[in-house]
Amino acid sequence: MRPDTPRIAAGAFGTRSPRRGGGGRSRSERVGFNANPLLTVALPAWRSKLLLFMLFAAFVALAGRAIFLMSGASSDFLQRQGEARYARTLDIPATRGRITDRNGVVLASSIPAKAIWAIPDDVDATGSQLAELARLLQMNLAELKRRLATDDRSFVYLRRQVDADVAERIAALRIAGIHSSREFKRHYPEGPTNAHVIGFTNVEDRGQEGIELAHERQLAGRAGSRRVIKDRLGRVVEDDWLREPLDGSDLALSIDNRIQFIAQSALRNAIEKHKARAGAAIVIDVTNGEVLALSNWPSFDPNARGRLSGDAIRNRALTDTFEPGSTMKPFAVAAALEAGTVKPHTPIQTAPGRLTIGGRTIGDAHAHGVLTVEEVVAKSSNVGTAKIALELPAQTLWDSYTAAGFGQAPQLGFPGAVAGRLRPAKTWRPIEQATISYGHGVSVTLIQLARAYSVFARDGDLVPLTLLRTDAPIVPVRVMSPSTARALRKMLEMAVAADGTAPAARIPGYRVAGKTGTAQKLRNGQYVKEYVSSFVGFAPVSDPRIVVAVMVDEPSGGVYYGGQVAAPAFAQITAGALRTLQIAPDGPLEPTHAPLIALTATKAAR
Amino acid sequence: MIRRGLLLLLGLALFGSALALVTAQHRARALFIDLERAQQQAKQHDVEYDRLKIELARLSQPAYVEAEARRIGLKPVDGSRTVFLNLPAAVAAAPAAPARK
Repeated sequence: MRPDTPRIAAGAFGTRSPRRGGGGRSRSERVGFNANPLLTVALPAWRSKLLLFMLFAAFVALAGRAIFLMSGASSDFLQRQGEARYARTLDIPATRGRITDRNGVVLASSIPAKAIWAIPDDVDATGSQLAELARLLQMNLAELKRRLATDDRSFVYLRRQVDADVAERIAALRIAGIHSSREFKRHYPEGPTNAHVIGFTNVEDRGQEGIELAHERQLAGRAGSRRVIKDRLGRVVEDDWLREPLDGSDLALSIDNRIQFIAQSALRNAIEKHKARAGAAIVIDVTNGEVLALSNWPSFDPNARGRLSGDAIRNRALTDTFEPGSTMKPFAVAAALEAGTVKPHTPIQTAPGRLTIGGRTIGDAHAHGVLTVEEVVAKSSNVGTAKIALELPAQTLWDSYTAAGFGQAPQLGFPGAVAGRLRPAKTWRPIEQATISYGHGVSVTLIQLARAYSVFARDGDLVPLTLLRTDAPIVPVRVMSPSTARALRKMLEMAVAADGTAPAARIPGYRVAGKTGTAQKLRNGQYVKEYVSSFVGFAPVSDPRIVVAVMVDEPSGGVYYGGQVAAPAFAQITAGALRTLQIAPDGPLEPTHAPLIALTATKAAR
Repeated sequence: MIRRGLLLLLGLALFGSALALVTAQHRARALFIDLERAQQQAKQHDVEYDRLKIELARLSQPAYVEAEARRIGLKPVDGSRTVFLNLPAAVAAAPAAPARK
């Protein structure tokens, strides 16, 4: 090393190439002023060694640190921190299940939508951009500006549940500070027709009413999350499911959309014609207890719930109790037949059309004279029914009502279904026993009535009702003997005969049976001149398939008897439902055979 | 000398395989992006399908159909205007026979 040092030094001063190894000799011969030995600096060798060592030590330290970081105690922490800088956890929402009718027609379905929100501080838009935004959001410009001028400068929703295509157009405006996030919007394509059964969801897609609420867990599913690595363009390049989302399962209702519509329009016609306040109609398939239609009016559009009123939302068929009136009579008569106190042809004296029990008098609308038990039901005699009922112990009567489902909330899995009121038999005074037998002093819901009538339609047993399409075998509970049920069927068919109380319930081609009900309403403990008209019946009588119940609240168009108000709606619904279900006619085609003639004529013309 | 050659060879092989790893990773990611895009599309189609089903339900709802039918002068059927054909006794006795054809 030593000889090099002067060479570097000499070189540094620009001497002409001193020969190698001859430094010592040439110095004495030609001494240039710039090769003065005094100027030669001899650097100590250790310094360069030290430098080299320090560099080496620094590298060793770096390597050590690297090894420490990669395998040391804090490596997990670092790993996580690193990942946090390129990996993202995405929440994957579950899609809410569809609700369909029994034939697969979509009644409710969720579709992705966008929530449009803004960071008011960041919003930087021209007047025309804002005007366009307001137009797309369907709000007026002043309202939009008011929202953007809100106190909370960091976040404000402009509109939620915006359709995806509208959201895209908003994004295309490229206004700074306007953002969108994903959510779902529930669509109800049938609008008001099924509104009460299905209910609706809130803005977070959670069930609030009806089936949407009752089956929330099944419909909602479970959101998942997913860990992904995104590249610089925001594309997902690797993923790892932390939890797969579980989409909500679809739900098929027992409702038949076509029958539902028939029920709704018949009900609506009746309500409008008789200037009634409200009404409800139910169609039940008696073979398995499926509810084919459950309709209420007034109704609401679940897609546009801006002005919902409790009056329109209420599912009257399940939540409103009323005094059923004469529709209760068959149950008292059935109890008497079961107990053997009367036979269908036992004569009952109903003259003079009134009966005084314990100082209070009950009466018939028309005095009838001697009627058989069958005629008591057919002509709807209060006196006759009361006399039959008073022959029975109160407990027997109560048992028979309870067995038919009165006084208990139906196990329908539907929010808000009520039990009605049937007081314990011990508290009945004779006058009450009499009035309860013809449907006063007891309150029921329409669905209870419809279900109870399925006992007559089903040869004396009762099946649980369901709003869901079901293939499972049903377990009927026997309530009365088949012979009693058949006897009642005959009586109820007589009630709709030309000389019964409800000839308007008849339909061409089918034998129907049923019972009218007209009850005065109670207000503050007093009966007032407001009525609830009802009709419950079934068809075809030879092999009953459906029970139809109709209730019209406060008809004020002059007529209020069940036979005039509810029976025509019953006929319309039953005719439509039987046709929809393609049930063979079992009765005479009374009105005319004109189409048959027309058909023959057409054939002849050919 | 042989050992040095072997070392060089292995070194080259290591280098090559490292490059291959990088390429493979890159291709895997490219494929994953395609997969993701396809899945995204499938999802989009699902949503579209749902939307169309809603649209279908909306257009086929009885109220709408009835209004349209009335507009072109159709009337609802009822029993009185339905022709019921009675099967001849021979066919009625063997109802399964025509169904077999």
